[in-house]
Parts: sequence; C-alpha cells; structure tokens
Amino acid sequence: MDAFTRTHRTGSTKQHIKGVVSMVQKLKQASSKKKASAALALTVATSMVLAACGGGSSNTESGTNASTDSGSSKATTLKVEVFDRGNSPKGSTITNNYLTNFVQDNFGTPNNINMEFVPVPRSEETNKLNVLMASGSDVPDIVFTYDSGTFYRYAQQGGLTDLTELLDQYGPNLKQFLTDETLAYGQLEGKQYGLPAKRSHLGKYSSFIRQDWLDKLGLPVPQTTDELYTTLKAFKEQDPGQTGGKVIPLGMSIAPAQYEPLIWSFIKPMTEEESYTLTQQLSSRDYPILLPGFKDAMSFMNKLYNEGLMSPDFSLDKDKTKLSENVTKGLVGFFSEDDMNPYYPDGMYATLQKNNANAVLSAVDVYTNEEGKHPKPEYSPIGMYIMIPKASKHAAEAIKYLDWMASGDNLFQMQNGVEGENYTLVNDVPVVNADAADEIKNRLYNQGDMAIISNGKQLGDADKNVEAYVVGMPEKYQEDTRKALTISRTDTIKPILFDKPIEAQAKYGTSLLDKFNEIIVKLTMVKPDQFDSTYDQMIKEYLANGGQAILDERTAAYKAMKQ
Amino acid sequence: MNAILYFKRYWQMYALLFLPVLYFAIFKYGPMYGIIIAFKDFNFFQGINGSEWIGLDAFREVFAMPDFTKTLRNTLMLNLLDLMVSFPAPLILAVMLYELKITWFKKISQTILYIPHFISWVIIGGIVYQVFGTQSGMINNIVTSMGFDAIPFLTDKNDWLFTYLIVGVWQSAGWGTIIYLAALTGINRELFEAADVDGAGRFRKIWSITLPSLKPTIVTLLIISLGNMIAIGFERPYIIGNTSVRDYSDVLSTFVYRVGIESGQYTIATVVGLFQAVVGLVFVLGANYASKKLADQSIL
Amino acid sequence: MKDRHAGRMFDAVNLIALLVFVLLCLAPFLHIIAISLSSARSIMSGEVSIIPIEINWSAYSQVISDSSMIRSLGFTIMLTVLFTVMCILMTIAAAYPLSKPALRGRKAVMFFIIITMFFSGGIIPEYILVRNLHLLDSIWALVLPGLISPFYLIILISFFQNVPDSLEESAQIDGSSFFRTLISIIIPLSLPVLATLSLFYAVGRWNGFTDTLMYITSPELYPLQLKLYQLVQNNMVSQLMSLEGASGQHLLQPESLKAASVIFATVPILIVYPWLQRYFVSGVMLGAVKG
Repeated sequence: MDAFTRTHRTGSTKQHIKGVVSMVQKLKQASSKKKASAALALTVATSMVLAACGGGSSNTESGTNASTDSGSSKATTLKVEVFDRGNSPKGSTITNNYLTNFVQDNFGTPNNINMEFVPVPRSEETNKLNVLMASGSDVPDIVFTYDSGTFYRYAQQGGLTDLTELLDQYGPNLKQFLTDETLAYGQLEGKQYGLPAKRSHLGKYSSFIRQDWLDKLGLPVPQTTDELYTTLKAFKEQDPGQTGGKVIPLGMSIAPAQYEPLIWSFIKPMTEEESYTLTQQLSSRDYPILLPGFKDAMSFMNKLYNEGLMSPDFSLDKDKTKLSENVTKGLVGFFSEDDMNPYYPDGMYATLQKNNANAVLSAVDVYTNEEGKHPKPEYSPIGMYIMIPKASKHAAEAIKYLDWMASGDNLFQMQNGVEGENYTLVNDVPVVNADAADEIKNRLYNQGDMAIISNGKQLGDADKNVEAYVVGMPEKYQEDTRKALTISRTDTIKPILFDKPIEAQAKYGTSLLDKFNEIIVKLTMVKPDQFDSTYDQMIKEYLANGGQAILDERTAAYKAMKQ
Repeated sequence: MNAILYFKRYWQMYALLFLPVLYFAIFKYGPMYGIIIAFKDFNFFQGINGSEWIGLDAFREVFAMPDFTKTLRNTLMLNLLDLMVSFPAPLILAVMLYELKITWFKKISQTILYIPHFISWVIIGGIVYQVFGTQSGMINNIVTSMGFDAIPFLTDKNDWLFTYLIVGVWQSAGWGTIIYLAALTGINRELFEAADVDGAGRFRKIWSITLPSLKPTIVTLLIISLGNMIAIGFERPYIIGNTSVRDYSDVLSTFVYRVGIESGQYTIATVVGLFQAVVGLVFVLGANYASKKLADQSIL
Repeated sequence: MKDRHAGRMFDAVNLIALLVFVLLCLAPFLHIIAISLSSARSIMSGEVSIIPIEINWSAYSQVISDSSMIRSLGFTIMLTVLFTVMCILMTIAAAYPLSKPALRGRKAVMFFIIITMFFSGGIIPEYILVRNLHLLDSIWALVLPGLISPFYLIILISFFQNVPDSLEESAQIDGSSFFRTLISIIIPLSLPVLATLSLFYAVGRWNGFTDTLMYITSPELYPLQLKLYQLVQNNMVSQLMSLEGASGQHLLQPESLKAASVIFATVPILIVYPWLQRYFVSGVMLGAVKG
C-alpha cells in the first residue's frame, strides 16, 4: 500500500499529473479504489488537492504534459465555485465537462493555471458557503451567491477582498462589460466587495387571458383593472369554458408572480423620497406594504375573493402547482405569471392545448394605475454576486479569469457553444440547433452556472437579448413569447438601491416576508365587514415585528444619502 | 468487594466501553465548543474564537422576540397533542397486529404500514394538499357532494391541528410499531394458554399479559419523548403548515430556520438550541426521576 | 359460546380496521407509482390518482440507463451495510456494560451520553472536526460521526436488562467471561431487538443526506437520496428560473422521472424489513430460559 498514481484531468484532457498521497488519503479512498474510471480519478484527485489544502498532508504534483509544457510545478491552482444541481448528463460530471475543459484549454493552460471547480449544491448554497467561510480554509477563490443578504453580511464582517484596484489593474474588459450601473450593486461605502453579474433581461411579469373565452362571449380584451373586473364577472357567470361551475376567473397563488402585478398597479405614483423610505426590501425583493395604495390593492383582492372570482385555495399554493394544474385543466380565465413561463415545451400552454385544442392564451397588460399606466416590478440589472474571499491568495488570477470571460467572444462561446453544431446565427441572434445530437446539446447544460459574469445571453442590446429567449421557444409560441417579454418590460418599477445595506432588513427580512404573506392571505380572505379592523391590526403587528425598524433606518439612510 | 477483585471481574466491561466513550468524546464533545457561539457576536471570518463576547445579550434579545414566545408555545402544544395521540398509536397498532391470526396478512401489513415513513415530506405535502384541500380536496369533494359545507382542514387553525395529528399518526405509527413488535416476541405463549383455561376474554388478556410485557419499552420511549417535548422536527410543521395557520404551525424549528439560518444569525440559532437543550435535559431527568418512583424503572 | 362469538367479533373488527389502515398507507405509494408511469400532460393537469394515465415506461428506462444512478445505488448499499454493521457493534459494546447496575461509574457514563442527546456544537465546529480528521469527501465522513445513537442505545440497554439474570449467572458459574456471556447468551437472545435497531440504523443512513451536502463533493460518493433530493429541488427552482436568467429551462425534469427515481431509491430499503422479519420469532428468550 504505497503511493499510487492517478490520472488527473482537471480541465485539460491532455494533462497528466502524478499524485503522491499519504496513507490517510489512501484509506479515505480505499473504498472506491476499485472503480477507477477516468471521472473517478478526476474527483479523487480533486479531493486530494482539497484535503491537502485543508491542512497537513503534502501533495506533490509533477506534470507530464503531451502538448503544452505549462502544466508544471509552477502552475497556480484557481478554485472556482460551481453550482451542482445534480443534472450532469451522461459522460459529464460537474467538475469535468465541455465547459470546464473549454475554460482550462482557453484560459487555464495558456496562463499556466489549473482551473479547479468546487461543486456546491444549489439548494444549500448559502449554508455550505457559510460553513466553508467559517471554517477558514478550503474556500474557493471565486464564490458567488444570489442572496444579497449573504453578500452584505460577508462584506460587513470583513471577509471579502476589496476589488477596486484589482479591477483597474487586471479587469479592463470585465469593467467595461459589467458597466458602472451593475458594479454599483457590488459596492459598499465606496468599496467594490462584489462583482454582480450583468442581467440581460430585466422584465419579470406578464398577464395572460383566455382569448377563446373572450371571443365566445363577444367581449373585448380588457384594458383596465375595472374592465378586468367586469370580464372576470362574465367568466364567472357565463362560464364560457363549460367547467361546470368550477371556473376560476382569476388564477392566484401565494407566489409573487401572481400577486405582485396586481398589488403594484394599485400603488399611487410616488415621490423619490417616498419610494426610498416607505418601500420595504425583504429577502432581495421590494414590498409596497407601507406605500399609499396598498390598502386599495388588498381591498380589491378581498372583493374578488369574497365574490368567488379568485382561486379559493390560493393561500396553500406556495409553488404554483395548483395554479398550473388549474390553468392546464382549462379552469382559469386570467392570471399573471413570470413572463415566458407558460410557453416552455411541455409547459402550461402546451399542456392546456393538449387538453383542449381550441384553447388560446394571450399575453395581455391589464392592471392599470390611476395614471393609466401598467406598473409592475422589474429585476435589478444584476444576477449573482461574485465575490473573492479575503482568504484567497489568488485574487489577481481570479480577476484575470473573469476578465478573460468578458473579453473577445469567450462569453458568447461559453453560452452558445460551437457555431454550426450548437447554433446558427440568424440576424445576429444564435438560434439553437434543435436537431443536434444530445452529446452536442449537453455541452451547455450548466452554462448559466459557468458563465457567471452574465445572467442570460448578452447580444448587445435588450431587444436582441429578448430575441435570444424567443427563438429558444417552440415555434408556434414564439410570437406570444415576444409579446409577453415586451409587456414585462413596459412601465416597470425599478428596485431601490441604497449605498449601504439596511441592517434591519437583514435582521427581520425573512420573518417579515412570512408576515407579509400572512397579511395578504388574511386580508384577502377576511369577511368584507371586518376588513378595516383586520388591516389596522395586521399593519400594527407588521410594524412591531421589525417593519418600523426598517422604516426608521431607511428614512435615516435616505437623509444621509441626500446630504 | 475490594477494588482489585472488582476490577479483575469487571475489566472486560470497561474494555467494551472504551471505544464508545471515545466516540462520544471525539464526535460529540469535540465540536461542543460551538456552544459558546451563543455568548458571542458571531463573525464568519473571525471564527468562533475570534468573535466578540457579548455575554447574555443574545439570550435577552431572543427571549424578547414575540415570535420566540409564540413558537415556543406552539412547539409545546403540538408536542403535547402528539404525546396524547401519536405516542399511543403505534402501541395500539402493534397490539392489533399481534392479535391478528392470519400470518401472511400480518407479515404483509407490517411491511406496508411502515411505507409512509419512507415517503419524503415534500411528496407528503403534495398529497396532503390533494386530500385535505378546501376547494378540490378528496375529502371535501365527498363532503360537499353530500350537501355539507367544505371543512377548511388546512386553512382554519383548529381544523389544521386535526390534520397535523392525523398526518403524523399516518406517517409514523407503522414505523413505531416495529420496536413494540420486537418486544412482543419476548412473551411466553403459555401464559395465553393458561389464561384461556381461566376463561379470560381478549381484552383481559391484552390488559394483563400483552401490555405488561411491553411496559419497559413503553416507559423508556415515554421518558425519551418527554425529553423531546421542546424539540420539534422542521419538516412536518413546515410542509403541512401554511400561511393561514401560522398562528399554530410556526414552531421553534421553523423560527430558527428563518431567523438563524436564512438570515445567517448563527448566534440566535445557537441560543435557541442551547435553550432547548437545557430544557430537554431537565425534562428527561425529571421524567426519569418520576419513572423511578412510580414504575421502578429508569434509564440513568 | 358467548366468548367465542365475542372473540370472532374482535378478530373481525381488528382485521377490518387494520385493512383500512393498510390501504391508507399503501395509497400514496401507489400514487407515486402511478405518477412514474403517466404522461406529462396528465400529471400537470392533475388527473393522476392511483391509476396511471397514458402509461409509458420511459421514466424507468431513463433511470435505469443512467449509469450514475446505478453506481449511486451500489455506493449507497455499501455505505448502508458498512454503517449498520459498525453502528450495531458499537451500540452493543456500549449497551452491555451499561445494562449492569453493578458497574461502577455507570451513571456517570450514562449521563455523559445523555448530555449528547441534547447538546451539540452545531454545524460549523462539526465540519471543522471532520475536516481536521481528514475525512472530508470520503465514505468515513458519512459513517463515523453517527456511530451510536443515544436513543437506540437506551432502547438496547432496556432490552438487555430484561434478559433474566438467572441465565447470565448460570453462565458465569460455568466460568464464562463477560465476553463469552455476551456472545453466547445475550446476543442470541436479543436478535429481535438487534434486527430492529439494525433496521433503524440502516434506514436512517439510507434516507439521510444532509451530511452529504456538507461533507461530500465527489459525485462518486453521492448516495441515492442526495441525487433524489437534487432532482426534487431542481423542480422546486421553477421560481428561480427567471431569477437565474431562465438559463435553466432544460434543467426541469419531468415529474414522472422524479417519481420513478423515488421508487428506485425506496424499494431496496423497503424490502429490508420483510427480510428481517425472520428474526422476529416469538419466545426465543423463554425457550432459552427453560433449556
């Protein structure tokens, strides 16, 4: 049982590294030793490196390299987090696939860097990241999270590298790509602690109506909230879908995509000061609970519910399962949803049409505010927060890597694959080659988690970016998708950004979010004559549980910002 | 017995205990210094040692939270109900199975009864919704078709308690019977024959033969259950619960998850954990003492 | 006559009540099987109850053709067997001495163990411990930290204490050591409870995956339940899809595949109990007493 040799395939298929490892590591791996496939060897080697960094045992690497001589003992190892969603296709693993090889060959090998990808389970990302951070070592050089709270916490506790200078020094392309607008989201009191990915499409929501029902009843498409109410009533009374009384005129759930478009359309036009101070940000999302108009929105929902115009069990539907079931069964007349969600292959619309060939679902923009606009929230222009922990000794290489990704057509290649094999360019928009072999399609299975500097495809401007989504849909839904994606970008309300984190939000945010959902449910379901008293009581409770603290801190922060 | 004689006789016992004690020392007591997080303002990057001491501040903060009091109350309430309903259920089920005469059915049903234990809560959540939903749940479909009003099993907090208990019994009773069935193998069948000669009825036999033989197991499980009165699993209340019944379904584990883990406040999470540990230990010692006095049996 | 009649009534009621409960326990399982065999359309429209609609086996052929699933099954079986054997040995080693009231220091050790039922250091120090022992990303990280459950230990102690003292004493008069008594008398007499605890340990290991999320990074060491969890979680991220730039559209796995995977991961452990039932033989202990 002395030293044994394994083939190390981090990134490059050509690279071989002999590893000499200690007894401890052998013992660790003894169980799986027999099944020595190439993929196994990769991860074993990866874990050895990890263990070696974890402390103690030595791990000498000596490279024997076929095509490049760079894989020598001088090579630096750059560790990059990658989300593991457990969906690696046949022949790939999360740490060894087309894209990891692409990165190694095009960035790693030429720069004498070994790229090492550290998988973190998607669903446990913050939990695992917290533990990695707290345990001091093993932390990858590049980590990321979608959770702004986690980012702020790390930054405030002094765990992140200030990237301001590094970015100037090593990241000119990156800086240009991300733009100042995006970068502002990663700054805290003037320091660049994070690099937020750039989001390509900011639209969130659209609404959808059963056009065939309207046609059957000879009704026009409703243009305002009032007209919508009349239409919903007609759906209920005349039951154009012949559901036998089971009709759900307005499909609702307790997920933001369903209630946000409705609620925000009731919010009165506000001054800048109001929007900064009265908005409450809970878990990365702005909530209008204290804004003028919120009560009207609740009162409207209460009316719809008590008149039987809305999903009766909406308060149980956290993940929209029931909503999509009802839509596909043809029970729902109108609903709001994430803009392109209904159009995926085998998605809501496709299933609805399988159940009822005559069903027609149209994207519409109905909810109207008092100015006649259709306000709805949009995304902040960022995706995940990319961070470099202070413990990292390779901050410069990390920035170089991200800069490489932002330069030339590297990002485009990572997102779209090989021209002619994965896609064909039509009017500058890459159209996915649907008939490609699985092997080719699977190349890009985790491009969203590998091409971390961008959220969605970047083709130069918002219309083209949207077009990239459109051409990815089944052909017969492309026109509808285009419409929905236009609606979701119209009259949008931008999220509010302070130049420093609001601590009360970090502290009370998740609790208040639960409280907020409770408020919606209770105010919607309460008998109309008890509405006012319930409203007063719920708002009081909300403020007492941290809402007031957030309000005070935001007011103070706004004043400080204006000085 | 003097010490040398004693050791000569018992050294093998201590040898046996060596590895288990070592295990507890390394894997359980080794990480226990983490408890001091409760007394520190925990900073991920300073680590446990480097973080600043804050004394009992975090305890004061937690005890002052309205959500803490509420979730503590709910935890005790749900556990108490479980103790009354879900604790006896496996016992009754085990006795019923034991009384069953048809051997093949007995074997098959034992296996089927413990299936629910293997179904993940996410899936159970979906099924509960389909069965108990107000608008289109299976039960309410029947109720409304008979002309009654639908019962809000999931949205009314009192009805929800019923749903919570029923699902708990369904999920755990079959699994819980296994330990009783193991204990029942110890009964001397001749006792039943003797009872037959005396002309004892079925209930009589259950009362004076079956149950007494289960007593040590029941008492042991009861003591442990009492120790866990303040601990509660996360998934069952979280998955079966919903926004409408948060007044009852919000418990310590969901509170810790929300405040401690989701918001990254490990100090708060540790404080609640420590509180639960102390109370749990007091409960289990109290239950142990009571059982020693009342049933002449103890786990210590 | 009257007694016999009452007895029959009892049997009938008992049988019917059990039958109902058995059906209630079986239904969800049938539901999952039905989902695994149904078409995407019928599942999404909520038409599937316990009878499959538009039957197809594609989900199963997909699961079985996935070599990582099969490998994961193999690993999980190995892990579970290793874990269970080590746990049972350790638990017996602890339970036997602690079942002797005469043992000096017994109370102190019991207290030492019971403390750990309630107090724990939390996830961060536990991770640091596992890392410092160089167990990260190895099978031992999933075995060693869970070797003895104090709860199962207490149960085993209470069963050991029920072994009649007379038996042990007679063995010791014969000159048997404690080791011999343990192996030749105590263990054979305790087979039902040992089978039960093995089942408990095995099922706990089989179904557990939270430790793997923290300690394991190599896909080769993914237990089935972790793969299953990821599969289920992936579908929960439909809300996250738009957050993540909808790059994950093809990440969505069909419900039937999820259900087929659940069945694939559950059936192997379900058949353990029927197999263990042979150790649930009545009267082992009493037979020995008389003999």
